[in-house]
Amino acid sequence: MEAPQYVAARVQSALAEDDRTHELGVRVDVRGDQLFLRGRVGCEERRELIADVAGEAAPGLVVHNEISVVDVREPGGEEKL
Amino acid sequence: MSQLRIAAVGDVHLGEDLRGRYRSRLSGIEEKADVLLLAGDLTRHGTLEEGEVVAEEFRDLPVPVVAVLGNHDHHSDKPAEIATMLKDAGISVLHDDAVVLDVKGVRLGVVGGKGFGGGFAGKCASEFGEPEIKAFVNHTKRIADRWRVALKELQADRRVVLSHYSPVNDTLAGEPLEIYPFLGSYLLAEAVDSEGADLILHGHAHMGTEKGMTPGGIRVRNVALPVLGRAYGVYCLGEDGEDPDHC
Ligand SMILES: [Fe+2]
Ligand SMILES: [Fe+2]
Repeated sequence: MEAPQYVAARVQSALAEDDRTHELGVRVDVRGDQLFLRGRVGCEERRELIADVAGEAAPGLVVHNEISVVDVREPGGEEKL
Repeated sequence: MSQLRIAAVGDVHLGEDLRGRYRSRLSGIEEKADVLLLAGDLTRHGTLEEGEVVAEEFRDLPVPVVAVLGNHDHHSDKPAEIATMLKDAGISVLHDDAVVLDVKGVRLGVVGGKGFGGGFAGKCASEFGEPEIKAFVNHTKRIADRWRVALKELQADRRVVLSHYSPVNDTLAGEPLEIYPFLGSYLLAEAVDSEGADLILHGHAHMGTEKGMTPGGIRVRNVALPVLGRAYGVYCLGEDGEDPDHC
């Protein structure tokens, strides 16, 4: 069986290099046959694409999509330097 | 001299799917800030189509806009074309040079560019060995040298450095240590410390931390959108007690 570290590395590269994602800021962890994705992205569509690309790069693993969508709050709380 | 309110954000990573979404957060910016600085990674794939979305999103704002590009904006090998599109939309784009804006009678100088990686003092790559490593380190060195010259020649009342990559490791806290050399370089901080500035803004480290400082004591802020969690940060520059009800 392929070591989980290599599977995670392959998924991470796929997320960075696949034209559908180009996502560098996602953390990928593999535990047994479970694949965990964590990070923050701009919208729901991107969140789902990441899970698709990850699933294709690691067929047979159960994908847990724990990525959250950044809710851009109103600006506020200026800082005085 | 009036205080200046600098709004800044990086890593908006716009694309067709986010068109119009960010713009809605910019309404009323003129009440909160005097200028908006964009710290790179404005697109996701660096395509001309995405560049167009960025130009539309940030055109005709009531405050001047200054931008640098990020690594994502280089991915499709069209950085010059994207920069031209932004300039056509009235946005100043820095490429290791400077712009001086007149803001409320204060000359605000902004110096910067994309920056690059290499790591931080004592834990960094050096110009040694294979040509690929030398080219990597040399790219950062040349950028730092151009910033040093631009800062030396800058005639301004306030000086802000705008980068995509980080000049310090403080603002990377939260990122895996193993990737620090790809997130920034101390050479950038060293160049700015040698010539002086009031503030350094950067993006790129989505999982990093907002606040840090150079070894020379210049404040550094990581304004990557996922770090801020708000549409933009606002940083006020000015003496204590000066114009107190403005900031
Ligand atoms: Fe980014
Ligand atoms: Fe970046």
